[in-house]
Amino acid sequence: MLTNTGSRTMSVEDNHISDSAKKPHTIDKIVVDAWNNIAPCWPLKNLVAANPLQGLEALDFEFALSQASFYFQQQALPSLMNEINRITIKWCQAFFDEGQATIKMPLREQGLYASWSVLAVFDESLHQNEPAKKNMLINLPANPSHAIEESIEALNIPQHEREEFLTLMLTSLPGWSSFVKYRTEWDYQKNIQTHPVSQLEYLAMRLIMTRLIWPEASDLLHWYKKNKQVSHSLPSQLVDLEKNEQQYRRDLLSKLSQQAFQSQEKKQSQADAQFIFCIDVRSEPFRRALEKQGNYETYGFAGFFGLSVSVCDQISKDMHASCPVLLTPQQKVSENISSHNQSRATIIRKKTLSDTLRRLYQSLKYNFTTPFTLAEMLGPWSGLMMITKTLFPNIFSKCKHVFSYQREKSLNLMPHIDQAADGSGISLADQCAYAESALRLIDLTKNISPLVVICGHKSETKNNAYAAALDCGACGGHPGGANAKILAAILNSHDVRAHLGKQGIQVPAETIFVAAEHNTTTDEVTLYSRHTTDASMMAKLETLQGSLALARQENTAYRSQAMDHCHAKSIMTRSQDWAQTRPEWGLARNAAFVVGPRRLTQDIDLEGRCFLHNYNWLEDKDGALLTTILTAPMVVAQWINTQYLFSTLDNVAFGSGSKVTQNITGKIGIMQGNGSDLMHGLPLQSVNQTDTDSYHQPLRLMTVVFAPRQMISDIIAKQAILQKLFGNGWASIACVDPGDKKSYYLSRHLVWQCSTSLGD
Amino acid sequence: MLTNSFYSYFNIDALAGIVVGLVVIIGITIGLFSRRYMAGDKKYRQYMVLLGLLVVSVAVMVSADHLVLFFITWAISNYLLIRLMIHKSSWPPAVASGWLAAKTMLIGLCSLGFGFILLYKAAGHVSIQAITHSFDGSDPVSIMALAFILCAAMTQSALWPFHRWLISSLNSPTPVSAMMHAGLVNGGGYLLARFAPCYLTVTTLLGAMFILGLMTALVASLWKLIQSDVKRMLACSTVAQMGFMVMQCGLGLFPAAVAHLCWHGLFKANLFLSSNSVVREKRVNTPIPPTLADMVQAFLSALFGSYFFVVASNQNLLSPDTRLVLVALAFITAYQFSLAFIKHFTWKYFPLVLLCTGVLGGGYGLSILAIESLMAPLNLMQPQPLNFLHIGGLLLLAAAWVVMLFRRSLASKKIISSAMLKGYVRALNASQPLPATITTHRNQYSYE
Repeated sequence: MLTNTGSRTMSVEDNHISDSAKKPHTIDKIVVDAWNNIAPCWPLKNLVAANPLQGLEALDFEFALSQASFYFQQQALPSLMNEINRITIKWCQAFFDEGQATIKMPLREQGLYASWSVLAVFDESLHQNEPAKKNMLINLPANPSHAIEESIEALNIPQHEREEFLTLMLTSLPGWSSFVKYRTEWDYQKNIQTHPVSQLEYLAMRLIMTRLIWPEASDLLHWYKKNKQVSHSLPSQLVDLEKNEQQYRRDLLSKLSQQAFQSQEKKQSQADAQFIFCIDVRSEPFRRALEKQGNYETYGFAGFFGLSVSVCDQISKDMHASCPVLLTPQQKVSENISSHNQSRATIIRKKTLSDTLRRLYQSLKYNFTTPFTLAEMLGPWSGLMMITKTLFPNIFSKCKHVFSYQREKSLNLMPHIDQAADGSGISLADQCAYAESALRLIDLTKNISPLVVICGHKSETKNNAYAAALDCGACGGHPGGANAKILAAILNSHDVRAHLGKQGIQVPAETIFVAAEHNTTTDEVTLYSRHTTDASMMAKLETLQGSLALARQENTAYRSQAMDHCHAKSIMTRSQDWAQTRPEWGLARNAAFVVGPRRLTQDIDLEGRCFLHNYNWLEDKDGALLTTILTAPMVVAQWINTQYLFSTLDNVAFGSGSKVTQNITGKIGIMQGNGSDLMHGLPLQSVNQTDTDSYHQPLRLMTVVFAPRQMISDIIAKQAILQKLFGNGWASIACVDPGDKKSYYLSRHLVWQCSTSLGD
Repeated sequence: MLTNSFYSYFNIDALAGIVVGLVVIIGITIGLFSRRYMAGDKKYRQYMVLLGLLVVSVAVMVSADHLVLFFITWAISNYLLIRLMIHKSSWPPAVASGWLAAKTMLIGLCSLGFGFILLYKAAGHVSIQAITHSFDGSDPVSIMALAFILCAAMTQSALWPFHRWLISSLNSPTPVSAMMHAGLVNGGGYLLARFAPCYLTVTTLLGAMFILGLMTALVASLWKLIQSDVKRMLACSTVAQMGFMVMQCGLGLFPAAVAHLCWHGLFKANLFLSSNSVVREKRVNTPIPPTLADMVQAFLSALFGSYFFVVASNQNLLSPDTRLVLVALAFITAYQFSLAFIKHFTWKYFPLVLLCTGVLGGGYGLSILAIESLMAPLNLMQPQPLNFLHIGGLLLLAAAWVVMLFRRSLASKKIISSAMLKGYVRALNASQPLPATITTHRNQYSYE
């Protein structure tokens, strides 16, 4: 019955899958191609935005949408496919668990296929105790690629439809496939996983299940084909989308060109302080509020500040990559509290106490027999806590802060940037390179103020599975304070400044760089500097604190208009409220990415919808800086934009549904209710005001660059990713051309069109 | 005259007072929580109205003295609960969850109806007070009635083999789950406590409760430990806790069961409402099996802790009865607590360990004493003489805990035989929700 003929003739040159490196197979090539349709999805702990249709970005946007409706938006599945999904979900939940189950799936350290094929023999829902099926499970080939081949033969899938069939095996359970895609291609620690998985293994498991449950699964192909003919029309939303985009583009370009070509002679004195914020759309209204408070200049820069580092907190021993997921961390930087610091002892004491309490609680809770007494012991406390958290969330968090050490810890943790014996730290040459490229990229090379604040950002929410989605995306879904501290330390180093001087960047000797962190939920800005003894500097910092407080007041008042309450005070409560499903609007309503000097945007209310990156084309002769901006931060912004876009267009297929019925599985992702596909994407509450009214306005990202259009064209011509994004309509680009002082936008055929002459 | 007869439908004693208090506190908290949590929901108003009615209906049920009133409010409460479970009514698995609950509760309702009819036939009263006063434990019809009522309690409290509806109930909004786990599933325990004076005269039924409760407690504890999603873990844990509560009833310790019902209700409601926090919950590694020295220290400390428990909960150790089972469980918990403590501190901290264990034991004793003394006038604390069943059950509970404790060293000895693998898969399959309640195709889901 099982034949191995005819499928081992071709060899594959570009084989990405390590298991198959020794024995190239055509089947492996098909597997790779099938997986190319799938976008990755990140686990909740570092939830990074991604385009759910990333696998289809090689196609035209409109065609991709119709493909997506075919693959991901089918209203029903053949009934036996549902059965296969149910069993896949059960095993995926068990295998991919990261710390929810106390007794983990046995043998899983051997990998998905190896462990599952042993356990499957005992799974009656798979073989229904039929000897033939049981035998098949007992005699599975050890190599997953052989298992795929065997199964596909047994299912009688014709040669030319195999890739399509495997694709359907993945797209009929898109969330879990996406997670496997993340685990196999994007997890920067993928080589040290405790429970390894490969793309071949997952498909092998799925095909074996299909063979057992639905031997006639080749019908799936016909079933999909039949539905393809039915659902052919483009989504009606597309018409609105284009109309809204044109409207938005016209408004924004006219405002920007007005600013750009006004009398530029507003030559001002040196600013009292300069601030570098993340490009995040939430920085924009805050920057505007802050600039009103004094003679301040603000800059926009990707929130990881150009540092591809992983950060290791020596107090909690946690390590994470603190850079965009497109990059691999190059250095490891340790953060610690120096032993001279008086707070250290308190923090360590509090940490010991909280660790001990947690250990005691968990050892009684995740156990046999003891939970019965534990529930009785803690009942009165739980009741009290529940009532306080619901009625007085602010009081509860204040009480909690007495015991918590987290806030104090982040105030006192300082990075050790110099190279240490354990291999951590950054070499002087790399420090210089980081410093120089950071200042050049945002054009902060002259007139540096005595005080430069480098401001990362984080969010503060309670009882929120999506907390990481509100943190800094450029830092891989983590707070950005650590990177700010590292860059400040680098720029304060004498050796680095000496190097910068040689390269023509004069940093005045009295200038200090101060790290800070902007809390986007409450708009509080924390300054991480306490070591200065200089009285005049102390005074400056104090003035700064005052300005930041005023800016906070202004911005919370501004933001509260978009929340249902109009009291600015309720913004603070939202960050502490365990019942709040909309603690802040995050990056909702994001629409554009503006690359250029601040004066372009300074006097316009951009409504918190724009990513702002500073850039000066005059200082970028070869276009290298602009290339970096367009291929790194802009791509991250496009991921964020498409995540919001598709979560709004179809919150079931591409979003994760209402928070009200969500259930967290394995600490990695969201399921709906009792069990479902892994619901990747954003929850309804992140994009909608109510179940029926959306808050996010779906618009594809429009990038506006203040530079000559020829310069941009030259860059696009060299970058395949930009051709793909702009040419296929996943994002658009416009330019405010300083040459002829007109604004243009790039058509899908990559030709510049004058924005005003087209009457759009 | 009319008001007189109105009052005769109700009986607000200590038991009713405690449970009404619990339901009202939890109901109000969950209502306030839902004001923000459910904001923007399409059926927000309907949800709030149903929630309010549910609290009222449960409160009436708990204070009812008339069999018919009790029966009707029992039915209404469950109906309202099921309506709340199917909040997202265009989501087929949510409807399937509701149907499963409805079917199970219908069995319960029928059992309750039969039980009440038989009780009425045997006693000739419709007042629960009158029935419990004049109950004859040797009458087979009355025993049959109690067996039916026990069955109703088991469906309500999701005891094995009626556990499936609770494990499949997570398509409900989170606050509804909290209300269910803190309120409605306790209905079974309340029902048993209400008829406790009757059950106390029929020792065979007490034995049956003990066995059924124990079995559920053990099996569901295992299910709980292998679950990977937070809500199903909590649901399995509730099933185990309900088993334990019925076990306490079987020991003749009804006030202890009521204490468990209250404290577990608050505990579980809090865990459900904060279930979105588990992403950032850090798990401590499984402790390495203890050394002999650890065990000796922990033993001393556990003795100390359970001594304080005995003193605080006002127990008499000299007459060995079923209360010893609770003392033994307190001992096991104190032992586990001390072990987790000792593992990470040097012996210098032993006095601290002793102190903490003592405080904990004492506090635990007091929390039980509080409920017991409130319920003292009802005279429902009637410990039974210890028998082999009780000792056997206790040994099983202790053995399960010991296996957990030495699980690391067991695993390292390559005992992962096919029997254990088979056991894992069986437990995994047994703890799955009803297939129709799982959203196997993503686009089946609907938030309306």
